[in-house]
Amino acid sequence: MKTFKIHRPKTVEQATGLLPSRRGPAEIDEARPMAGGQDLLTEMKSYLVQPESVVDLGAVAELEEYEVGASLRLGALTTLARIASDTEIGARWTALAEAAASVASPQIRTQATLGGNLCQRPRCWYFRHEDAVCIKKGGSECFAESGLSKYNAILGGGPSYIVHPSDCATALVCLDAEVTRSTKRGERTQPLEEFFTLPSEGSVMRENVLKADELLLKIEVPALPEGWKSTYLKFKERASYDFALCAVALSAKLEGGKIEDARLVLGAVAPIPWRARAAEEFLAGKQSTPEVWEKAGELAMEEAEPLADNAFKVPLAQGLIQKAFKSLTDGGAK
Amino acid sequence: MSLQPKKNTKDGQPTWGERDRLSVLNTDTRRLSAGAKVSGEALYSMDQRPEGMLFGRLVCVPVATAEFTLDLEPALAMDGVEGAIVLRKDKTLYNGQAVAAVAARTPELAEDAARAVKLEIKPLPWAVTAEQAMAERAPQVLGRRPNYGPRGRGDGTTGDEEETMLALEGAAYRVESEYHVPVQHHCSLETHGVVADYDGGEEATIYASTQSVFGIPGSAAREMDLSRKNVRCVVEHMGGGFGSKFSMDVAGKAACALAKETGRPVYVFNDREQEFQTSGNRSGSTQRIQAGVDEEGKLVAMHSEMEKLGGLGPGPGTRQPYIYDVAESFTREHSIHTNTDASRAMRAPGHPQVSFAMESTIDQLAYEAGIDLVEFRKLNLSDPVYHRQLDRVAREIGWADHPHKSAPGTGDGWTAEGIGFGVTIWGGGGYAGCGANVRIERDGGVISSIGVQDLGTGVRTLVAMIPAEEFGLTVEDVDARIGDSHLPQGVSSGGSVTTGSVSPVVKSAAWNARLAFAEHLAPILSCEPGNVTFADGKVFDRASPDRGLSWQDACAALPTEGLTANGEFVDDLQASGVHGAQAARVRVDLKTGQLTVLKMVAIQDSGLVLNPLTWRSQVNGAMIQALGQALLEERCMDPDLGLQINPNFGDYKIPGSLEIPELVAIIDEEDTRQAVIGVGEPPVIPGVGAIANALQNACDVRITSLPLTPDKILSAIASQS
Repeated sequence: MKTFKIHRPKTVEQATGLLPSRRGPAEIDEARPMAGGQDLLTEMKSYLVQPESVVDLGAVAELEEYEVGASLRLGALTTLARIASDTEIGARWTALAEAAASVASPQIRTQATLGGNLCQRPRCWYFRHEDAVCIKKGGSECFAESGLSKYNAILGGGPSYIVHPSDCATALVCLDAEVTRSTKRGERTQPLEEFFTLPSEGSVMRENVLKADELLLKIEVPALPEGWKSTYLKFKERASYDFALCAVALSAKLEGGKIEDARLVLGAVAPIPWRARAAEEFLAGKQSTPEVWEKAGELAMEEAEPLADNAFKVPLAQGLIQKAFKSLTDGGAK
Repeated sequence: MSLQPKKNTKDGQPTWGERDRLSVLNTDTRRLSAGAKVSGEALYSMDQRPEGMLFGRLVCVPVATAEFTLDLEPALAMDGVEGAIVLRKDKTLYNGQAVAAVAARTPELAEDAARAVKLEIKPLPWAVTAEQAMAERAPQVLGRRPNYGPRGRGDGTTGDEEETMLALEGAAYRVESEYHVPVQHHCSLETHGVVADYDGGEEATIYASTQSVFGIPGSAAREMDLSRKNVRCVVEHMGGGFGSKFSMDVAGKAACALAKETGRPVYVFNDREQEFQTSGNRSGSTQRIQAGVDEEGKLVAMHSEMEKLGGLGPGPGTRQPYIYDVAESFTREHSIHTNTDASRAMRAPGHPQVSFAMESTIDQLAYEAGIDLVEFRKLNLSDPVYHRQLDRVAREIGWADHPHKSAPGTGDGWTAEGIGFGVTIWGGGGYAGCGANVRIERDGGVISSIGVQDLGTGVRTLVAMIPAEEFGLTVEDVDARIGDSHLPQGVSSGGSVTTGSVSPVVKSAAWNARLAFAEHLAPILSCEPGNVTFADGKVFDRASPDRGLSWQDACAALPTEGLTANGEFVDDLQASGVHGAQAARVRVDLKTGQLTVLKMVAIQDSGLVLNPLTWRSQVNGAMIQALGQALLEERCMDPDLGLQINPNFGDYKIPGSLEIPELVAIIDEEDTRQAVIGVGEPPVIPGVGAIANALQNACDVRITSLPLTPDKILSAIASQS
């Protein structure tokens, strides 16, 4: 990686002051914020970014919030290991605890932060290869679209076909979390679902609404209403240490064999955590049976447009949706 | 005074001794370097840091093939950069080919300097996939020679095609399939490279990550224009080779050349991306197989065509019908060349590829004929050793209670379980050429020396165990010295020959030392030399075991310089020719296509196993490597970019701890040969076929293209229903 300066600000204000006010043509060289460094350092080692300076957020106390109360408030610096091992989060926001526990390896979870996990860049092998200058790096095409596309998007793709790599993002959108970020005009809070952007909506070079000098500050997750429980199922090609090939976050109110209501979000199938709204609408008020789970899977995949190598993600997502319901029904998850 | 044994003692030639009387050999013995390796104390070649060392780095051309110009000046102008050399001027032929190298005071500076070298590239038309190489008007990657043709050893045809086709037509049951095996990488955790320790004088020491300690000094001397006798190679510990580390490679050459230029020690090791792109691989292949059996299930005909994908190289020649007996067989083998680095030897070169296709064919025929998979194999394997081995692994994997013996299962809608089998074959004998010496010091110390490298297989431990057995000592009492070209000649570790080549010579040296010591002690013990007995740390007259000397006191009777004996190769102490069988039990998740290997069982006949613990480690490691090839591993080339797009351990996936199944490695005790045989390669062969077969056995899904990833399995399941 290129030699860089490191700054260690104490406050959000100091930190954002060290970041560029807007992204310029030479954005590859501009200062970057770093929390756990688990993604930024790999990008720097691969020369995807070559910042002149790195703003280490480790000493910014405002990002350390951790409150498990009526709702769950997690500062950006909360480590994934802490979330994964908190038994109360495991009991009340199961999908989030399961998602955090599914990330990478124990070493990485100990260092990696929630904020970094939500803001990490895609894992597409073209994007990560220095010598493949794809559309997300200022090139003119998405190489996956006509190339080796096994790991890429089947929903919401174009002009880039990356999938969002964050496990926690999928779980948190399912749990109706809100995100707070710093802006020039003060803090702004919005549903996490609106934080992520499709390549056809926002800039194709980014995955969320954060501007160059903004920081993700915290996440707030409301308490699940009475009778609801949630689960996160991540399917990895390699059980030890891998990103999802497909993931399902499901929260539902199940009563007497009936699905009162459900929220279903898919991971690793689209450039953003993918709300399966048609399936959610269908599920409300249905009996919880394998036939209904199967139908929900079909509706969730209705708009899927696979590339050459990833049609398998359609039956995979459908299978995981069935397994997620089976898991909730059997009491395997809360 | 140097003591040498008299010839023609009544002890005659050395033998290993009866198995049940051995106290050190044939006994589980933890490897001597285990503590040092686990604690990090062990210094691998990559860890060497001679005083004043510079860090070198290769400059590589990042396209499939190109003409280029180089300007080293921008790098040389940087503060802290001490040298730069050109390695290649001709056009490059594969992605990542090194053309220059730089040396600087820190690894970070070296990386910056390598990127500062002005490299102007003119990409040339390439063919990085078989399809591209076979296309009309494809660029000829080897220059004048076409991309397709008979190239390597074993290429061309064997058998009578017409007779084979006639026999096929007469078969009661026939199957036909096309199999694809992608390129697999060695994935040595220590990459290729050397530290060349040099100060500008007439001598150099090369710390190499190599499978051939004695192959290094000559090449390094040439690179550095030194006399061979002044160049020493040291390999204290090395981190895996699997067949890819017989030469210094371009990293080693660059280190030597930069050391010569700067007059300082220089380190050059590949980074992981360079390692994937440039350090060889297991060739891929496409195989089309037609085979048939008669009413009884005997193989009557097999027609097989194979295109080997060895990149710029030919790929190894291994033929069908692998191991099995077939009445009429025809093979045609060709190579397809691409702009990718040449394949190299990799643990049983060529064997897993043909084994996968053959074992898959066997199961498909057995299902066609409706015969038990184990019985079907026995019917088509004439060697009875395979029969007992198949029965043994079948028992261990739970075949008797398995419901799907002659037809695949389907599962319960959520999961399915299956079992698969495979067999293996190898030589594994050693050959003459090594030297060894064993020295007994006056203070009781024992030094056992041979220059051979230990790839992680446990050779170092054997070098200590053999004299310990001979002198009635423990393995901790012996100082094993290996991995140094200044020690007696070792052997290159390829073909599973190391144990068979090294052990007889060390045994001979220890034997000779014992005889000489016995001669010396006989007058002191007032007995015949033939009655001097070494056991339990004591030396005594066999007739009066309760008298005698402690080992320490016996050694004190030696002259000042102690006693040194040399060894020579004793043919009868080693043997060649092994069989093996494996079984795998898998579970398939029918909703996700996930294939989980639950258990693998391997049996090998290995003659006398000197250290059963490291033997099992070898066999377990081989099963894991086969599991990786079966489930995960594949070099992915993008044809339009001409690049490997997974040159890292994130995207090129090898098994992690959660992939490791229950592993059972069984020594075939019915092999009573009193001779040692190497075990490195044969157990890596049958696992891939066994796992693919277990998948079909579980849920009637036959995947003919490795690796057996969830996308393929799920697509196949989806198209079934």
